[in-house]
Amino acid sequence: MPFLRIFPVLGAIVMVFALTMLVPLGVSAWTHDGAEAAYPLAMLVTFAVGLLMRSAVWRVGRHLDLQARDGILLVGMVWTLLPLFASLPLLLHFSGTASPMSFTDAYFESMSGLTTTGSTVLVGLDALPASINLWRCFLQWLGGMGILVLAVAILPMLGVGGSQLFRAEATGPMKDAKLTPRITETAKGLWSVYSLLSLACVLGYWLAGMPALDAWIHMFSTLSLGGLSSHDSSFGFFQSPAMEWVAIVFMLLASCNFALYFVALTKRNPARIWRDAEWRGSMALLVGSGVFIGGLLLYKGTMSDPLDTLRVALFNVVSIGSTTGYSTVDYTTWPVFAPLFMIMLSGIATSAGSTGAGIKMARLVILFKQAKREMSRIVHPRAVNPVTLGGHLIDSSTIFSVLGFMLVYGGTIIGLTMLLLLTDMPFDTAFTAVVASVNNMGPGLNEVGPAGNFAGLTDFQTWVCTAAMLLGRLEMLSFLVLFTPGFWRK
Amino acid sequence: MYTLLPVLNVFSRILIAFAFSFLVPLAWAWSEDHEQYRYVWEGAFALAAVSGLAVLAATRRHRRELQARDGFLLVNLVWIVLPAYAALPLLFTVPGIGWTKAYFEAMSALTATGATALSGLDYLPVSVNVWRCFLQLVGGLGIMLLVVAVLPMLGLGGYQVYKAETPGPMKDAKFTPRISETARGLWGVYAAFSVACMLAYRWAGMSWADAFMHMCTTMGLGGFSSHDASLGHFSSPTIEAVATVFMALAGISFVRYFIVIRSRSLRPIIRDREIRTYVTVLLASIGLIASLLLAHGVYDDAALALRTSAFHVVSLATTTGYASTDYAQWPVFAPVLLLFLGCFVSCAGSTGGGIKMVRMVLLIKQARRELVRSIHPRVVNPVTMGGAILPMSVMNATFGFMLIYGAVTMGLTMLLLFTGLDIVTAFSAVVATVNNIGPGLGQVGPASNFGVLSGFQIWVLTFAMLLGRLELLTVLVLFTGSFWRK
Repeated sequence: MPFLRIFPVLGAIVMVFALTMLVPLGVSAWTHDGAEAAYPLAMLVTFAVGLLMRSAVWRVGRHLDLQARDGILLVGMVWTLLPLFASLPLLLHFSGTASPMSFTDAYFESMSGLTTTGSTVLVGLDALPASINLWRCFLQWLGGMGILVLAVAILPMLGVGGSQLFRAEATGPMKDAKLTPRITETAKGLWSVYSLLSLACVLGYWLAGMPALDAWIHMFSTLSLGGLSSHDSSFGFFQSPAMEWVAIVFMLLASCNFALYFVALTKRNPARIWRDAEWRGSMALLVGSGVFIGGLLLYKGTMSDPLDTLRVALFNVVSIGSTTGYSTVDYTTWPVFAPLFMIMLSGIATSAGSTGAGIKMARLVILFKQAKREMSRIVHPRAVNPVTLGGHLIDSSTIFSVLGFMLVYGGTIIGLTMLLLLTDMPFDTAFTAVVASVNNMGPGLNEVGPAGNFAGLTDFQTWVCTAAMLLGRLEMLSFLVLFTPGFWRK
Repeated sequence: MYTLLPVLNVFSRILIAFAFSFLVPLAWAWSEDHEQYRYVWEGAFALAAVSGLAVLAATRRHRRELQARDGFLLVNLVWIVLPAYAALPLLFTVPGIGWTKAYFEAMSALTATGATALSGLDYLPVSVNVWRCFLQLVGGLGIMLLVVAVLPMLGLGGYQVYKAETPGPMKDAKFTPRISETARGLWGVYAAFSVACMLAYRWAGMSWADAFMHMCTTMGLGGFSSHDASLGHFSSPTIEAVATVFMALAGISFVRYFIVIRSRSLRPIIRDREIRTYVTVLLASIGLIASLLLAHGVYDDAALALRTSAFHVVSLATTTGYASTDYAQWPVFAPVLLLFLGCFVSCAGSTGGGIKMVRMVLLIKQARRELVRSIHPRVVNPVTMGGAILPMSVMNATFGFMLIYGAVTMGLTMLLLFTGLDIVTAFSAVVATVNNIGPGLGQVGPASNFGVLSGFQIWVLTFAMLLGRLELLTVLVLFTGSFWRK
């Protein structure tokens, strides 16, 4: 079997993942929430499967030399298998209750967690055991860790969709063709920043008056830009301006490149953050859009108090635009322009190297510059005007990769929307559900809007949305490539 | 200093030629004995001819060969000013139409879009309907020149892929010889198809007037009709079949037919990658929608489902926009697919709108190439078309077009949403106008018309039609600073 050599790595990841189930188990034991029984079995099964995979090490040896192709397969396996294991506690817990959860729903929920999407099929979140809610949100935090490594260390090496642009300046030996040392190096740097920000966030929520457990749960889904919550009414449950401001700040911080923070920290030079074009782009777009929507709400008379409007608009716009997906109000009742603008924003506003998804700011900047170049080329066909980013020349093959990414991105959205339409879903629901899933954002409009959820979908529709989340998370190409015959040829 | 005068000189000659098209509705007004409308057409003819002559006289000293930059200005001028002249008679013949709707209607006609802001078409004077429809034929002639001769020279348009095999002196940098060359070759083929189409409609049972009007809108892939119910008015399978055939034929570049006739061989059509994809996509969509209609029980009879599906797929995909039934009532997948097909199915060099099939073929090839490259980063696999490697500049232009196409569709939709329109109407209206299809969905669906929109919304969509017809960049480039710099 040609791809046997990824199994030791995969096994190790699965085994570590099994250990993370200790967290909800601990919480469950501490709070006596009645879900204790669900975790040990799930953990055991996961660990055993991981061990089995790890045993392949006897066949292939310890010192592995993973190539680009192995990397693609590994990434695809991790993001399809881990949701499977993550759904075990959910399945086990709900099988003992009055409303058992179907496998489709459980897999959707874990996929939504691990891809940091934040769509949910569960209703009555407030009544769920604390540890189950914690597990859902903790999955997002774990997913966020995975994504950081994926986005900064793995995808750039594979050059997927022009992601070679995203490589951070100083994290790890970039030119090294081996995946393993690079990933370890990157992980160390990024995860320490991620953890620091996480602690600050918990502290922020706690100081703003959130109960400790809720503070942890919401920190998990804030830093990962996930957006799951332990309450049906999401952040609206707390009715606390202070908490909303804390959330706004941390969502903004998390929608930027974590490698940038790492560099600024190690070099003790915060100015580097400010000098980064992409950082400024993301910030300006998110904050600017929030203020703009606030103005619209005031103008249309939806809200009247300026300061309140600003906070509400900023919170919801930043939340949707950064692909988090919290909401404090049902923003679909705002003038129709606003919710669609916010959904569109989710496709472009986050920086590469953050836990957000979609096209990413860096690609957008490239596309914008390329479009501008084409325009001027029409008038002056012989002019030489290369595309640059942050002072570096972008070669044409990278630009083509970015354009190719856009094609596949557009094609995926259109194709999956058509698939949902085939099941007789209304156009706006289908379209926004797909966009929200592909961008790993969460709520769409209408039935799947902030006031509803994905529970009403049929099994087939749920699977389509699950696939959309996975595709979006893996930047489409790195997953689709698995379906080309060329990949499996020697 | 850059001066507009040489462009105006050429434009004035086009305007004078255009003036003669007012004689067509005038002839109908004479024969159908609409005494009171005669003066409108006579007046319009006189105005266009006189103003054309005046400009010609004023700019006669500035006659020179046009450069690329002049080409952009000329094309914009033609497609912005001619609709204004064409709209004038509507103001005096259609009660309560107003300038906004009249200009929209004329733009829709000359860009071969087929979106109408009028209702009660059956009660309009015959000469007015003849004028609306005849404009689409005129528009079709102009579009053909635009896409085959003018845009490729400017480095724009889907047709530049075929640059090498276009009849006429392609490499010549001069506009005039090339355009007249193309006109002679293509318009002959176009005229032959038009006569055949008209006779077929007449044979299928239309009156001469209806046959003439529907021929005009079929060949121009426009989609105007003299009836509110469009082709559904006739309830005739034969007429629908004739329309289906001629729309499908007109969706292919007339240059192909020209080459076929000249080389006496069908190979240029049969072997062409774009045309093969065109036919495949049409057949697959017809089958898909027909089976969907059967499965949902919209029709019980398989033959009826297939016929209705074929008619609507071809009509929407070629950006014509006829309808024989309110297809918006079909299961939601069908109308959205129809609209989506309109975005890309028609071939480059035809009078259809949208992305064009050849660009789609290129994009798919490029996407596939990217997939291969992510496994084998150092592999060399250039995109080819018909065995030849495509130059980088063509790929760049194709991608540039796609980017701007996406941005324009999104931007204009946002603008309409801002005015409070619902998403289905806003999005479909923009798609239907940017691709020059005609009917959208929701409030502007096949059973309704664009007259329900506000003045501002109509102007946005008028602009969308213009943008789509001139392949976006031709218009947008005027808004860049470097265009006006020396």
